[in-house]
Amino acid sequence: MRHAYFLLITLLFSSLGLPSQAQQTAEKTISGDFQHVPFGQFVALLEARSEYRFYFDPQAVDSLYVTLLVQDQPVRSVLERAFQNTPYRFAIDDERRVFVTAGVELDPVLPPRFFRPAGSSDVAAAPRPAEAVPTTAPGRSRYVREAEYKVYEIGNGGSGSGKATLAGHIRELKSGEPVIGATIYTEAPAVGTSTDQFGYYSLTLPVGRHDIKIRGIGIKNTKRQVVLRADGKLEIEVEEDITPLKEVVIEAEKDKNVTGMQMGLEKLDIKTMRQVPTAFGETDILRVVLTLPGVKSVGEGSTGLNVRGGATDQNLILFNGTTIYNPSHLFGFFSAFNPDILQTVELYKSAIPAKYGGRLSSVLEIKTREGNKKKFSGSGGIGPLTSRLTLEGPIVKDKTAFIVSGRTSYSDWILKRLDNSSFRNSSASFYDVSAHVSSQLDDKNTLYATGYLSADKFRLASDTSYKYVNQNASLKWQHNFNNKLYGVLTGAYSRYAYDITSEKNPVNASSLKYGINQTNAQLDFSYFPNSKHTIDFGVSTLRYDISPGSLTPNGAESLISRDVLEREQALESALYASDRIDISQRLSVSVGLRYSLFNALGPRDVYRYAPGVSRSESTITDTVRYSSGKVLATYHGPEYRVSARYAVSDNSSVKASYNRTRQYIHQLTNTASVSPADIWKLSDANIRPQLADQYSIGYYRNFKSNTIETSVETYYKSLRDFVDYKSGATLILNHHIETDIVNAEGKAYGVEVMVKKLTGKINGWVSYTYSRSLVQVNTGTTAEQINRGRYYPSNFDKPHDVTLIGNYRFSRRFSTSLNFNYSTGRPITLPLAKYYVANSLRVYYSDRNAYRVPDYYRADFAVNIEGNHKVKKLAHSSWTVGVYNLTGRRNPYSIYFKSENGQIKGYKLSIFGQPIPTITYNFKF
Amino acid sequence: MRALSLSFRLAVLWCLALALPGCIDPYMPDAISTTKSYLVVDGFINSRGSTSIKLSRTFDIDAKTAPPIETRATLFIEEEGGTRYAVPETSVKGTYTSASLTLNPAKNYRLSIRTSAGLEYASTFVPVKTTPPIDAVTWRPSENGLTIYINTHDDTNTTKYYRWEYEETWEIKPPYYPQIEYKNGQMQDITVPFPTICWGNSNSSEIKISNTTRLTQDVVADFPLRALPITSDRLAYRYSILVKQYAQTAEEYIHWDLLKRNTENIGTLFDPLPTQLTGNVQCLNNAAELALGYVGAHSTEQKRIFISRTELPRNWRVTNGYENCVPPDTVFLKNTRLDGIAALLQSNFSSPLYLPIDVLYLPTGRVSGYLAKSNDCIDCRTRGTAVKPSFWP
Repeated sequence: MRHAYFLLITLLFSSLGLPSQAQQTAEKTISGDFQHVPFGQFVALLEARSEYRFYFDPQAVDSLYVTLLVQDQPVRSVLERAFQNTPYRFAIDDERRVFVTAGVELDPVLPPRFFRPAGSSDVAAAPRPAEAVPTTAPGRSRYVREAEYKVYEIGNGGSGSGKATLAGHIRELKSGEPVIGATIYTEAPAVGTSTDQFGYYSLTLPVGRHDIKIRGIGIKNTKRQVVLRADGKLEIEVEEDITPLKEVVIEAEKDKNVTGMQMGLEKLDIKTMRQVPTAFGETDILRVVLTLPGVKSVGEGSTGLNVRGGATDQNLILFNGTTIYNPSHLFGFFSAFNPDILQTVELYKSAIPAKYGGRLSSVLEIKTREGNKKKFSGSGGIGPLTSRLTLEGPIVKDKTAFIVSGRTSYSDWILKRLDNSSFRNSSASFYDVSAHVSSQLDDKNTLYATGYLSADKFRLASDTSYKYVNQNASLKWQHNFNNKLYGVLTGAYSRYAYDITSEKNPVNASSLKYGINQTNAQLDFSYFPNSKHTIDFGVSTLRYDISPGSLTPNGAESLISRDVLEREQALESALYASDRIDISQRLSVSVGLRYSLFNALGPRDVYRYAPGVSRSESTITDTVRYSSGKVLATYHGPEYRVSARYAVSDNSSVKASYNRTRQYIHQLTNTASVSPADIWKLSDANIRPQLADQYSIGYYRNFKSNTIETSVETYYKSLRDFVDYKSGATLILNHHIETDIVNAEGKAYGVEVMVKKLTGKINGWVSYTYSRSLVQVNTGTTAEQINRGRYYPSNFDKPHDVTLIGNYRFSRRFSTSLNFNYSTGRPITLPLAKYYVANSLRVYYSDRNAYRVPDYYRADFAVNIEGNHKVKKLAHSSWTVGVYNLTGRRNPYSIYFKSENGQIKGYKLSIFGQPIPTITYNFKF
Repeated sequence: MRALSLSFRLAVLWCLALALPGCIDPYMPDAISTTKSYLVVDGFINSRGSTSIKLSRTFDIDAKTAPPIETRATLFIEEEGGTRYAVPETSVKGTYTSASLTLNPAKNYRLSIRTSAGLEYASTFVPVKTTPPIDAVTWRPSENGLTIYINTHDDTNTTKYYRWEYEETWEIKPPYYPQIEYKNGQMQDITVPFPTICWGNSNSSEIKISNTTRLTQDVVADFPLRALPITSDRLAYRYSILVKQYAQTAEEYIHWDLLKRNTENIGTLFDPLPTQLTGNVQCLNNAAELALGYVGAHSTEQKRIFISRTELPRNWRVTNGYENCVPPDTVFLKNTRLDGIAALLQSNFSSPLYLPIDVLYLPTGRVSGYLAKSNDCIDCRTRGTAVKPSFWP
């Protein structure tokens, strides 16, 4: 503000001293080619060539450069062009004096009654700039405008040389929520960083005056002027980008694709996810993740993710830091996350940061919003099968906020209405609840608490009922030691359990239970020693406690014998450090190492098997009893995480990465798709951990001022010791599961091509993936080998995949979305011949996965109709009307063969075999 | 685990709940073509009685022909380090039956086969399992129909694995007893009357297995072996079921379990992957030549029960399978000149598939026509045998 007043005073003096008098001499025109001329120099040139004299605050314009080509233009229009798209304004008075101001336009003519003494002093005559000229940016709040023009002095005294670190948070002005992934940078020197998951940034700059610019998706661009003297804090509040009517341009940091270090990372925000039409009308994050290149699933109703040829158990799904073991409802028809509470979803397919470990193929990190810190608000939606409600608000204004979200289904009610007894005897219902509280204790300490519960219950025209639950909680404490170092201590608990109860026959009435408990503690540090290094390091430990299965009789008549598998316990610990080094403007390298250690713990009986022969009950040579807390098996090893980026030009780069991952927990499933009855098994004395190496390289290029992102990534991955099964393996209640498991080797490779446009009337992405995923089991006896020990396609080997997610915005209130998906059919084992045994036709099957189901393609269409866009109104609402599977193609969900009345018949089951219309109502208040 | 197929039902349920027609379509991939035909061995070594083995070959999945049988093979039951017993081919081609034998339960046995093409096959040596007797075959009606249960136990706790087969027999009573027949171009009184009762017969085609490894005692209690709907024509008069029980080794049980899963319950996403299941028979002189089938060795136990219509709930609607046969057709002679009658009879009754039942007279005593119906409604031998089974009361 200081310079603004300074200018005003200048204006006053000059106006008083020189009463208006028109000078009508012919104006001189200006010609010239100005290339990045500093403003001061530009002014000098103009003054030399004209009678105009300039008045301005040199400091206010020190970052202004002029690039202009003019030919015989009057000074006024030269200036108009020079200041176009800058915050600077100018005013010319009768004396040909030019007053250049930043942001505020001056009226060089005094008010007509200025000299009439009217009680008020001349101070009152100086209109307060903030109120005076609201023309600069309509809709900008006063706070932000003031903040942009204020010069913040950071630190006391200071030497005036050397460097200092500026740190703080970027938060959303209205809700106080942190802005994740916003870029904060200075142009000279070119130093920049982006905010982390807490909205935190740390920027090391030379001491002195800087213009700090802030950009990010979903926020308005802004800047802060600082005079940095020593290390200090700068909290920045930015405005949400509510695009005003009739204004078209949305600027954001869009060159991240090219300049960002990370490769193999897919980041989706909730706005993008909402545009993708789904079968049940509700935003489904896993469904959207499945449209990304390199991510596949075996079937339409399945949310098991196969990332770059990895199995469904090789994805670490983190929900605010807690591990989710079953991310789906109703066997995968819904994902278990309520879209209203989500902020971002990040999927790491390669170059997995050293911070994460424990799974081979990917990390899917789901983050919730923190809740509105300023005022109470809510949102919700009503769909054909589910409804949801989210409430959020401050507990202590600006300090502590909560967000609570719930969702429930009413499919039970629908089933009861159907005119069919088997439906009426069925039930299927689910719900999920998540809650998050964040509290800023003081400048240096912030606490975050998350709770999550999801539960499913169903019964299918039978005597067996199923229940499964996810229960998760986490507590995070973030402490800023100083501007260059902060630490996060996380404690988390995850539980997944299922219960299958059978009651019809009292003799067999039983209940089968499984449960996994995971407790982990983790300490992560981020250290920013200078602008060239970003160092992350930390330590984590995780304790598993698994009840691998128990069958217990229900009722006095039951003859079921109690069968309880011994608990499995283990400790998985890891130490990691990584450093991101910006070697030059063009080249940066990230090196990381994670060392993980796994200890399987007693009490437990461990079978020893005769070496060199296939494991079976008959080859057990010894049983060793380990007492409580005794280590029965130890595995450990380094996990390398290396990546590099080289910027070929301003808008293209090449990135490469190598990473090794280790996994100590295995999901046992001998079905093609994920089923809730699948169990997780820890590595132990007989089951080795899985290991994968992935090499990838990619080329990234942005077009049209970064509005179009293109990328090509290719990868090769080799997997070792993941689990496959002998034919007819028994996985449930097996006391010696290792006799039914074989170690498989795998390899996966592919190319992913993607073109993405996330702004403008037409936005969306197109991707094409060519990928293969092959498995080999050639250990053990010939009978144990699958396909005679040769490589065979995995269940999710779908070489070609084309996905289009398109969105066309007709107006602010009306937009349409179109999805298109094509992929090669998944592999299938086909019957090759039939024969008669035991009075019925039987089938002889081909080699495993030797054939494929028909190709898959589907198009979906949705229309979003928003209510009016008044920023301030009681409730905002929107309607989504969509059609899933527009062409009604009967994509095979499953192909199967049955022997019926002595005949073998093939059938194709398509769940969404015709266009499915949906309508969903969403609201927000 | 039965649990897995339930998820498949969920998928179907969704499909139906969303009111989508035709979510299940018949489908036959074009890719199915096989060059080879493999030997199929169906049967087991009976440790107390005569062994019957059927040999056939695999055939194309979409073939409509009967399975090709393997005839003129030489079969032996071989005791490990001991005697061989011949299993000669019977008059039924492809079926080989031994004399009644009593095998030593302490020894291991196998089946050896030499085909007419000179290929030699042998099953692996298997121990002999002795089947415990069936305690009871019971039945109970429910609102969905009749369920037949089996109960057995082994006090020595050694059987553990069971397999059952059954054979059903039921009475068939046709609604018509023709008094006349069409022979040599004219109607005459019937010379050989049609049978008034026949006996239908059917063998189980489903694989029925159960194990007691999870139970504290080796007891099979009320295992549901057969379910018949209320409207089953087998329950119209008197019904009988002969249950055969076989004790199995764990390996043989696994084989049947896989075979059951492979063919009766397969292909959905949630079911186990189908397995390339062959069995325990190998070709000895050509490793590329596969053989399908599992030859176990055990004794058999059997039990027969009868269920009369009168024992079933009275409110069950009786359906005898002849519902489409009433009323009879009438072939009128009205307005037909005498020379036309022969042509009319000729056109109606020259085929043995359409039979006259009785003569219709006008009050004047003149023949006005004939009652008639298709052969299937009259001759119960199209649905069973007219020879009363020896066990029938």
